[in-house]
Amino acid sequence: MTTRRFDWPDLLFGLFLIAVAAGTFAATWRLAGGSAADMGPGYMPRAIALALLAFGLFFAGRGLLRGHAGIPRVQLRPILGVGASVGAFALLIEGAGLAAASLAAILIAACASRESRFLEVILFGLVITAGAVLLFVKALALPVAIWPW
Amino acid sequence: MTLRLLKAAAAALTLCGALAPSFAHAQNFERPVRIVVPFAPGGTSDILARLIAPKLSEAVGQPVVVENKPGAAGNIGADAVAKARPDGHTLLLMDIGSLAVAPSLFPDLSYNVENDLAPVGMVMFGPYVLAVNPSVPAKNVSELVAYAKANPGKLAVANSGVGALNHITAVALARDLGIGWKNVPYKGGAAASRAVVSGESNVIINGATATLPFVTNKQLVGIAVTGEERLAALPDVETFKEAKLPLNDAGTWQGLLTTGKTPPEVVARLNGELNKILALPEIQAKIAEQGGSPRPGTPEAVKSWLVTNIKSWGDIVRAADIKTN
Amino acid sequence: MELFDNLFLGLSTALQFNNLIYCLIGVVIGTAIGVLPGIGPIPTVALLLPFTFGLAPASSLIMLAGIFYGAQYGGSTTAILVNVPGETSSVVTCLDGHEMAKRGRAGPALAIAAISSFFAGTVATVVIAVLSLPLAALALKFTAVEYFSLLVLGLFAAVILAHGSVAKSLAMVFLGLLIGTVGIDVNSGVARMTFGIPALSDGLDFVPVAMGMFGLAEIIANLERPEVRQVVSQKLRDLVPSRADLKAAFPAMVRGTFIGSALGVLPGGGAALPPFTAYALEKKVAKDPSRFGKGAIEGVAGPEAANNAGAQTSFIPLLTLGIPANALMALMIGALMMQGIQPGPQVMTEQPELVWGVIASMWTGNLMLLIINLPLVGLWVSMLKIPYRLLFPAIVLFCCIGTYGISNSAFNVWLMLGCAVVGYFFIKVGVEPAPLLLGLVLGPQLEENFRRAMQLSDGDPSVFVTRPISAVLLGIVALMLIAMLSPAVLKTRKEALAE
Repeated sequence: MTTRRFDWPDLLFGLFLIAVAAGTFAATWRLAGGSAADMGPGYMPRAIALALLAFGLFFAGRGLLRGHAGIPRVQLRPILGVGASVGAFALLIEGAGLAAASLAAILIAACASRESRFLEVILFGLVITAGAVLLFVKALALPVAIWPW
Repeated sequence: MTLRLLKAAAAALTLCGALAPSFAHAQNFERPVRIVVPFAPGGTSDILARLIAPKLSEAVGQPVVVENKPGAAGNIGADAVAKARPDGHTLLLMDIGSLAVAPSLFPDLSYNVENDLAPVGMVMFGPYVLAVNPSVPAKNVSELVAYAKANPGKLAVANSGVGALNHITAVALARDLGIGWKNVPYKGGAAASRAVVSGESNVIINGATATLPFVTNKQLVGIAVTGEERLAALPDVETFKEAKLPLNDAGTWQGLLTTGKTPPEVVARLNGELNKILALPEIQAKIAEQGGSPRPGTPEAVKSWLVTNIKSWGDIVRAADIKTN
Repeated sequence: MELFDNLFLGLSTALQFNNLIYCLIGVVIGTAIGVLPGIGPIPTVALLLPFTFGLAPASSLIMLAGIFYGAQYGGSTTAILVNVPGETSSVVTCLDGHEMAKRGRAGPALAIAAISSFFAGTVATVVIAVLSLPLAALALKFTAVEYFSLLVLGLFAAVILAHGSVAKSLAMVFLGLLIGTVGIDVNSGVARMTFGIPALSDGLDFVPVAMGMFGLAEIIANLERPEVRQVVSQKLRDLVPSRADLKAAFPAMVRGTFIGSALGVLPGGGAALPPFTAYALEKKVAKDPSRFGKGAIEGVAGPEAANNAGAQTSFIPLLTLGIPANALMALMIGALMMQGIQPGPQVMTEQPELVWGVIASMWTGNLMLLIINLPLVGLWVSMLKIPYRLLFPAIVLFCCIGTYGISNSAFNVWLMLGCAVVGYFFIKVGVEPAPLLLGLVLGPQLEENFRRAMQLSDGDPSVFVTRPISAVLLGIVALMLIAMLSPAVLKTRKEALAE
């Protein structure tokens, strides 16, 4: 648990909403707004962003004032492991084919858990990769290359 | 507009179709061939691709897979083909009208339609049907035009999306006839048809494949059809030409293309195989069920079709100030 | 009576040996692709279309329909076991279904899902047989104005969905509405917030967002906790729902079935609403709403029934008007036309054995699904015996392949990764992602229909209250608002929501 001067969940959620609202205003300032009866493309995004801004200020303010709630400590290993695994798959799938992308995704994902065992993961990865190729390419005919060549 | 040129192109198409097969067997295929369909499964392009794929596979001795790459009005799929290895193993099957309007609709298009894609051949032409909800008091073109002039703003034309060909066609018709109607965009042709059947909008210009059933069922009233001849299913509905309407050749032109800079002999081989497939009676029957007619032809004919229409559609888009960006 | 004649005609078609086989093939394929996250029925049906050319029209339609509702069955299995929703409908099943699984009650959750779906399927078959013509007429009365009002009502239901604070779930609905506006604006054709990425021009796909925020975020959060050896009981008694379970689930099934049957008929907006609405209703009528989100069996039974009933009644516009209610029904039209049948109202009279055969096959298909799925419950549950350290990399991989397969592009995989990170943040700050997903699905339609209604009425907003169906729907919204704001209700809500 981190420090408890603020209500951290509320504060962070509020700040997140404020950031999203600000980003929306920045991204849509060029779009025509129009009126409620004759909306332009920019009307809805900005109207929603305005509501989000209000929500954000409310939560952030409440978070600052109310206090006394922490958030569970963030561990880096799971999020980095799973993130890297998905990223590796996305990078490899189009160039290197399904086999390599699957194996990489399984091996990297396994790093996210402290309990993974080296040999077991390699073996499991190979089996699942073979299974995925058979299932998705052979049985379901997903149009994706198996090998890089 | 460019009616005469297009007619000439169409004539050239039919002529050259007979000569094409002599080029066959010039090239071999070593890897699986992909036909990219830049739309979601189920549309005309998708169905055509899935009809052609097994026949093409027999012809080239390699598996042929259909890959749907939908998004951005077909530009994501077209871009993927434009950037593929130029060896004729990656094909694109789509309504080439969308390709013709893309440069004018999307100023920062990520590929060049004329240089990065190499036409293989035309596949089919499907005419448009102009139809109205029965609540509109018009049975033919002159009544519709008279009604539109007498009741400005009463007619709402459903289209399948801003910048879609039937949108541009509706805009061009209004311009040429001097009538004012609302253009109401929907997400795709099916949603647009539904809206006109329910009376939410009251006019539709759409591919015969999707719209014909509603006309034959009397849920919609057929006003006119594009193409050279009347439709067998609607013998009483006049053609655009008979009604002295412009845009007689508006409709879906489905074409097959591959990556630009593909060696001409590979393109010739593909063209030969395509035209042989289009000559098969079973394929012709299936294409007729899709409301169209096969249009075998040469790559050059497709090329000139594209060049002509990039300009003519582009003029309409710019004149009407249709923007998507 | 004509109804019985029709049903008899249908059954005699559906019970032909070859049609039974095609129905079985359809539901088995459907179940399989439903269980696999991300691989939906649409690409599968497209893939199988060419193989149906050679079949009789009834056989091909029976098989394709089987894939569709079979996939609904399979999808809930994955949602319950590993919290990965493959479709809009299974998001709601995740809420309480996965919670039940976490508490060692995966067996009853799966069984109730199967039984609810069968029940709903049976009732929906009768509904289609009796009411298809009046319901189709009702669906045609829904124009942009009515859709807008219906969607407003649906979004209000979302507020009841969440089991956290009302303010937070409202904020999440708005967040969902906002990301729903990404992409090319249907009414003006202008690209919004696409940051020049062409893949964003059709908006954010639902599947990567849902799989990232539910499936992957949950995995990341699970990995932070030391692995708990889950005791998976294989005793038959723990696999089947108890008498108390059934008693609690049955009324929910009935309510869900009716909601689903009614909403499923509506083209377009229909698909997403039934399970969400059913869940909201169950929570509203429950004596103790605080159980929801913690493994309430009604929270599985109601939405599952609604989902399946809606899936079947969505055939009504197709069979009676030739109008597809969703992308999958559009594919079915393609299949019909390949068979040389022009879809439309005349199909009912010209090809009665086809229409009624397909309707009757839905019942036989649902029966097959029940028979296939109930014995499989034990097998699925034993899947949870696989140690988590092996299970989770496989789920991650299947999520990746599934999202890639949606449009064969790596972009959706990246999008899922981004959503996983955001979803993890939501878990950390304690907000529920479900209302966001509803906002994402309904938001674009809400705006599209509102603006279309205004365009068609020349900017006159009074159409929303002068058209009767719309006025009634908005009236219900107003009543809900008054009920929510009245102090007495506010107090009970506070008690109910205090955790």
